Amino acid sequence: MKTIRNWLLGAGLVAVAPLALAAETGFTLETVDPEADRLALQEFYQKRFPGVPVEEYVNGIYAVDPPSREQWDALMEFPPYEFDLEEGKVLFETPFANGKTYADCFENGGIGIRHKYPYWNKEEGTVKTLEQEINECREANGEEPLRWKKGAIAQISAYMAWTSRGKTFDIEIPEDDPRALQAYLDGKQFFYAKRGQLNLSCANCHLQGSRVLIRADLPGPMLGQPTHFPVYRSKWGEIGTLHRRYEGCHRDSRSVPLPPQSEEFRKLEYFQTYMSNGLVVNGPGARK
Amino acid sequence: MKKSTLTLLAALTLASGVAQAETFQEVFNKHRAMYGKGHEFTYEGKTYQTYHPEEVEAMAEPSRDNAEALVASAEAKRQDAAAVGYEWRFTGRILKQAQEALAEERYQDAMDLAAQAKYQARMAIQQQAYAEENWHLAVPE
Ligand code: HEC
Repeated sequence: MKTIRNWLLGAGLVAVAPLALAAETGFTLETVDPEADRLALQEFYQKRFPGVPVEEYVNGIYAVDPPSREQWDALMEFPPYEFDLEEGKVLFETPFANGKTYADCFENGGIGIRHKYPYWNKEEGTVKTLEQEINECREANGEEPLRWKKGAIAQISAYMAWTSRGKTFDIEIPEDDPRALQAYLDGKQFFYAKRGQLNLSCANCHLQGSRVLIRADLPGPMLGQPTHFPVYRSKWGEIGTLHRRYEGCHRDSRSVPLPPQSEEFRKLEYFQTYMSNGLVVNGPGARK
Repeated sequence: MKKSTLTLLAALTLASGVAQAETFQEVFNKHRAMYGKGHEFTYEGKTYQTYHPEEVEAMAEPSRDNAEALVASAEAKRQDAAAVGYEWRFTGRILKQAQEALAEERYQDAMDLAAQAKYQARMAIQQQAYAEENWHLAVPE
């Protein structure tokens, strides 16, 4: 009996069982409580992976799977994103045709601000991401926007993350604008809703399925997922943005994926990053 | 054939919604999963076959008009699924193949492909409605 229970715990089945309770709170604008969500999520993983400190979750699957960790530690002896970081710094510092730079668009000259993204923009009534504001900065200065998923935008974002390493994520959901909380709630719903021909939610793989072999892959925990983005992914052979990853994972449920920086993906990032409050910026990252 | 098709359609119309009808759906799904399409089963004393309504539509005369109508209604359903953000990955590709078959006057092929796409789109819309009601069940408390 004990073994079975342990096995069930391992598979995350017991942990998600108290469904009747769950239905009573936290799923409408009136009841949703982001801070309670964040703590419940931490608790979920602490039960599932006893002994893994919360701050380790910035390392994704490598926080909870020692064999993958060993390979990763070897990879990180020469972090594969170093070239992109240098390139990102050059791009960041190179003036636009009008003589201005990215530094002119951002608070504190764009240095050490990654942990404040994404944020709720009251004037525009929408969630803003760092990549979005990089492109808005370009357009405000008469430059063409960059493509969203890889290349220069990921390199610039990588450099900006680098200058913010060690800062603690502190995503706010302003109380004076209920639309912010609604955006958070929409992001939360997106994460937990089953979709696609395979009828899979993000949660199916990254909560119940975390560290459970799914075909040839081990999905990592959802907690801490955005902290190290952008990421150099060996499978891509290059650096890419969080929304590139969202698109791939969304497609993996056999859905037509949303485009990067779509409103739904920005809300998802808002939810996911709020869940990572208290963890540090460790971007850019490297993954298999 | 014609008669059982009619009773099936009647049953499927009933099947939307109420608890009792869901039971029919469960029985239907079980037989469909086990034996595929066109299998006969009984439910509350009546005989049915495991065709989806779209497959029944594809049994109409394979004419240009019928094929065009089915392709068009499948495309409309696909758009409905896309509008709620739940379009499945290959529905569009299947519809493209249906349109190619139509252009080549392979009407039965066009109808079969359109039926498959229309079924997927209908399932995607159902899935969205289900998710809207039930997503919260997966959230840890
Ligand atoms: C079929 C299972 C599956 C589904 C469904 C899925 N993912 Fe993933 N995801 C994976 C696997 C496997 C990886 C690679 C291992 C890892 O890093 O977690 C991954 C990686 C990721 C990463 C990168 C993690 C990192 O540390 O770099 C993010 C972010 C992510 N998924 C988000 C999502 C979101 C959001 C959804 C829902 C739209 C989703 N995933 C749906 C399997 C899945």
